[in-house]
Amino acid sequence: MTVDVSKIYLLDVATGASVEAELRDAIEQAQLDDWQTKWRPALLTVLQELARRGVPIDQWPQSWHWDWTQKTTRVQGLLAFRGFSVVALGETQGLAQVDLTKTGREANQRGKPLVYVDYLEVAPWNRPELGAAPRLRGVGSALITAAIALSEDEGFKGRLGLHSLPQADDYYRKIGMTDLGQDVAYQNLRYFEMTSEQARAFFEQEGER
Amino acid sequence: MTAKRTMTLNLTDAEMRVLDELSARKDITKTAVLRQALRLYQTIDARVEKGEKLLFENDATKEKAELMLL
Repeated sequence: MTVDVSKIYLLDVATGASVEAELRDAIEQAQLDDWQTKWRPALLTVLQELARRGVPIDQWPQSWHWDWTQKTTRVQGLLAFRGFSVVALGETQGLAQVDLTKTGREANQRGKPLVYVDYLEVAPWNRPELGAAPRLRGVGSALITAAIALSEDEGFKGRLGLHSLPQADDYYRKIGMTDLGQDVAYQNLRYFEMTSEQARAFFEQEGER
Repeated sequence: MTAKRTMTLNLTDAEMRVLDELSARKDITKTAVLRQALRLYQTIDARVEKGEKLLFENDATKEKAELMLL
């Protein structure tokens, strides 16, 4: 399989400088190795500190139990699933997996195909909610941009859907997605959708940055 | 963008009508309908091969019907 690689730019939070990065339309072994050998130890350190401070488990990073090797293996070879990764400074900075078989729920796009973001995770050292100052900013946006671009490319007109972990609810509202409320059929997570118009507005906003 | 290859497809009038109708209703191109059909067929086939069943449930009555794939 040929992997499509695009050049993108992230922000180095400490220096304010732009950092060149690769957006890859696949999750390959190198990314899974980074997850195993870099993300997991970094996250474990954070979890140990949270446990030491007696922080209740419902306030821990909600993706702490995600196993990217398992997620990737489960969908290997299936056309319905696609992966994306962001690589910068020689390390994997973010991962996403999307499903192309889902359809819209929002009134104007009910029953129409969309790109459903199954999983999206940014490397622990880029996540401000984990305590330390993030190293790079823009990784999550880059992955959402990639999912919308895929939706356009597949003829789904930018339509996007996802269930959000509570810690990310505000982010998805901020980028203009419609909050369709808690989904009792999916662990009570809030379900968000982006319409074609919202996708266009998102691209315009991203272009101005 | 992933490179794509072109093929010619011969369809009957009835098949073409269904393709037109799905394309309009789902708000996607005819090519997108066929690509979506291929994805769904592969996904279902992979799960059936693993011993799973494909069931439809009526939202109101909760009645379940199994779709047999031969």
